[in-house]
Amino acid sequence: MRRVEHVMGFPVSVRIDDAGFPEAPVDELFAWLREVDARFSPFRPDSEVSRLDRGQQAEPGPELREVLDLREEYRLATGGAFDVRPPGRRLDPCAVVKGWSVQRGAELLSAAGARRFCLNAGGDVVVSGGPWRVGVRHPEDAGRLCAVLDLTDRAVATSARYERGDHIVDARTGRPATGLLSMTVVAPTLTEADAVSTAAFALGPQGITWAASRPGCEVFAVNADGKVLRSEGFPVTA
Amino acid sequence: MKRALPVLVLSVAGLIPVWRYAPSQDTGAGAAAPAPAPSLSSSTGPGGSTSTVVPGSTVDTEKGPVQVEVTFQGDRIASVRMLRQPDHPQTTAAVPKLIEETLRAQSADIDTVSGATVTSDGYRQSLQAALDAKG
Repeated sequence: MRRVEHVMGFPVSVRIDDAGFPEAPVDELFAWLREVDARFSPFRPDSEVSRLDRGQQAEPGPELREVLDLREEYRLATGGAFDVRPPGRRLDPCAVVKGWSVQRGAELLSAAGARRFCLNAGGDVVVSGGPWRVGVRHPEDAGRLCAVLDLTDRAVATSARYERGDHIVDARTGRPATGLLSMTVVAPTLTEADAVSTAAFALGPQGITWAASRPGCEVFAVNADGKVLRSEGFPVTA
Repeated sequence: MKRALPVLVLSVAGLIPVWRYAPSQDTGAGAAAPAPAPSLSSSTGPGGSTSTVVPGSTVDTEKGPVQVEVTFQGDRIASVRMLRQPDHPQTTAAVPKLIEETLRAQSADIDTVSGATVTSDGYRQSLQAALDAKG
């Protein structure tokens, strides 16, 4: 079964290979992602995040609390380089919300009995079962790949400067992060893969070592000179 | 916040290899050393780029207070170092081995594509759209 819907401004593609898997859990997955968009978007004045930011809500709900704790975890881990609230900016948990919410969506499918599936949310991927063949987009050529992975029961996320331009901001300076062309991280969950690739990209060349030192993380980085630096355990196909 | 604490210690351990790459400077005797007063300092390097040193706030962990300092060259992080470290820092964290390769452009038979966020606008022209359409 395959389905593609657009949520939070990006396409979400689901492919489930279990024979006869019902539609209802997939409906639930998309309902969950739409709920996340409504509650955690800083761009919607009526969202929980916006209300909290304006002081109209005293305490975050348990799920927003979880997201804010994750944000804090990665802020601390990077000495402040990863922070979704740079000085003078609105509360914006986007940087952790995407990976976290899609990971939760994948867990929803697993709980409903899906065993072999692939979930791709705008380029961030969670797979169950496998091996799945996952291409990594070439940073300078949208139509080609710079690596192909064999991935089983893991997640992969890429941060790069194409598509949206300099969209990742270093919270310490409020300016775009530069220094790497692309940073791909494989991790046990998309929550970790997405946040670590974002943080490592913001850290620049030092972020490669930082990300590779995180337990369970494997990295594939393309530096500004177009050289690849990858960890030994990065699951490239032979 | 209980849940966050063990994670924090791991995170700090994860930072140590990065910190080792910074120009070596004496970081004192760990938690017993008083933290310098937070301040921002800037200087202009030989290349004309401005170097800025930004101390983070002190974070209390189960193992003692932790504080990092980030040095920027222009808008890029040049180094991260510990101003204060826990009483028992995990300094044995191994520096991971990295393999250097030439960047290749290839085409292959794949199931899905990872890349920086594809927006709904850009989706129609993407490799992923072609894979989804193939069914």
